[in-house]
Amino acid sequence: MTENTPDNSRQQSGDDIQPKLYAQCGKLYPRQVQGFFARLRVIGVLALLGLYYLVPWFSWGDRQAVLFDLPARKFYIFGLTFWPQDFIYLAFLLIIAALALFFFTTLAGRLWCGYACPQTVWTEVFLWIENLVEGDRSKQMKLDKAPMSWRKFYLKTSKHTLWVLFSLFTGFVFVGYFTPIYELWESTLAWTLGPWEAFWIFFYGLATYGNAGWLREKVCIYMCPYARFQSVMFDDDTLVIAYDEDRGDPRGSRKRNIDLKQAGLGDCINCTLCVQVCPTGIDIRDGLQYECIGCAACIDVCDDVMEKMNYEKGLICYTTENARQNKKEKILRLRVIVYAVVMFSMIAGLVYSISQRIPLELDIIRDRNALYRETDEGLVENVYTLKLINMDEVQHEYNLSATGIEGMELILNEKEIILKPGEIVSLVLQVRVDPVNLKNVSTGINFSLESKINPEIKTQRIGKFIGPVIK
Amino acid sequence: MGSDIPKVQKVIAIMWPSFLIAGVATILFFTAFDPVDFLVTTPFADMSRMGAYTVGFFLFWLLTTASSMLTCYFQRPCVFKGQQNNGNSISGHTA
Ligand code: SF4
Ligand code: SF4
Repeated sequence: MTENTPDNSRQQSGDDIQPKLYAQCGKLYPRQVQGFFARLRVIGVLALLGLYYLVPWFSWGDRQAVLFDLPARKFYIFGLTFWPQDFIYLAFLLIIAALALFFFTTLAGRLWCGYACPQTVWTEVFLWIENLVEGDRSKQMKLDKAPMSWRKFYLKTSKHTLWVLFSLFTGFVFVGYFTPIYELWESTLAWTLGPWEAFWIFFYGLATYGNAGWLREKVCIYMCPYARFQSVMFDDDTLVIAYDEDRGDPRGSRKRNIDLKQAGLGDCINCTLCVQVCPTGIDIRDGLQYECIGCAACIDVCDDVMEKMNYEKGLICYTTENARQNKKEKILRLRVIVYAVVMFSMIAGLVYSISQRIPLELDIIRDRNALYRETDEGLVENVYTLKLINMDEVQHEYNLSATGIEGMELILNEKEIILKPGEIVSLVLQVRVDPVNLKNVSTGINFSLESKINPEIKTQRIGKFIGPVIK
Repeated sequence: MGSDIPKVQKVIAIMWPSFLIAGVATILFFTAFDPVDFLVTTPFADMSRMGAYTVGFFLFWLLTTASSMLTCYFQRPCVFKGQQNNGNSISGHTA
């Protein structure tokens, strides 16, 4: 690339590269990039979106492999079933995710933003569609400036139609995580969607369309909480994307192979390609900025320029503050180690506690209407409602027993307690005690429930027995 | 203050945090309470869980939006009409 290559659209668009203008909502036209990091991002986009769009279609046994069945209040994740009682795991998972984010941010800066954030990923797809329909950056700018014509109308309508279809499909898949997706697909085709499903498909679709089609970098700048606080996690050894000022300045266009020293120029040819590719519209040469999402598009494009100029690559590159100041770099800092240790111990804890989880839930509620009743035989009776949930994948028959008061008698209407997988049952239990055995007005009794086919599946609950004390 | 903040940012500053918190509140609330249990005694007994979650979410969002709006409202400088703001020389009616 020589001096006459600067993109002419830049001259036309004049000051849309001024760093301050994005705040006034001017539309950005990020130029498409090719190169190593762009390929990484494409791989990231395809892998993540592939997962997102495909996962709900997989089956596990006779049900959907991953289904957050809100109507039934059960979460299925492959072989595991989670209940509202398992909420603690979700909390755990969120904490682990946050720690992972801290860990990677401290090490490698905004890796998440550039390659994995849904906002980046979906925006990337929307940009592809835009490029497909309207052509490259300069064509898009020209089209937007041109007065309305049939061609413009046609191109704009096609673009938005494609965006809307893609968004709606995205919304459909989203809802497919919460209601069985094959049935959802059938009712979509048959036009018999339930009102709530339809609503969420549109709502999520609208959010996708708005965020990836219109808001784009504004989401990163104004809406993203992570973008606001990520700088707290940065230190002088965090990987950032930076322009090498010492090497690049003074900037200026030049003929190829001139003697730079004589011309008094640095390596930057001032082609402004790095600004044109930037999805957030900043000039990385102004230094580290809050808006930079670390997408590395400017690295790719500048490396290209350097190669064509026969200069060394890496005028813009991944680096650290310490490396730039020729100080010693340190990858394993205290905070990195602390994040890693806490994160991995939490993951281990989560895996362990899930593997030790007992798929049986027992709740005991004392009858609120009467404290106690005396039977004709002179026994004291308390009534309880037991709520049982079989959270296992197979049917179980359970044994109920209780300890705490001598000579307790348990009376159930049912002869046997059999629960199908996922079944919830309420049972009424009468407990009768000879009052001579009562030492206190209120005595704790320990109920235990144990599976007959697998004695490891058992659980205990304490209930209160109330009765008169005979002195 | 105010006028140098872009409008999108103002709208987002109200709608977005309230959206996030409404989401968290919805999850916590419906994990603890099953809508089918507490709707039976109301005229909405026929509503599906999905419907209850949706309505619940938007009610939460309404509340949190109100809270965000109040926060933004009270963030305006405290000055009377015509009064000079302490040192900042922002005049009375703060837009
Ligand atoms: S830093 Fe690289 S891409 Fe940017 S203007 Fe200079 S030479 Fe061009
Ligand atoms: S400055 Fe470079 S890395 Fe940062 S957002 Fe812009 S193009 Fe991406």
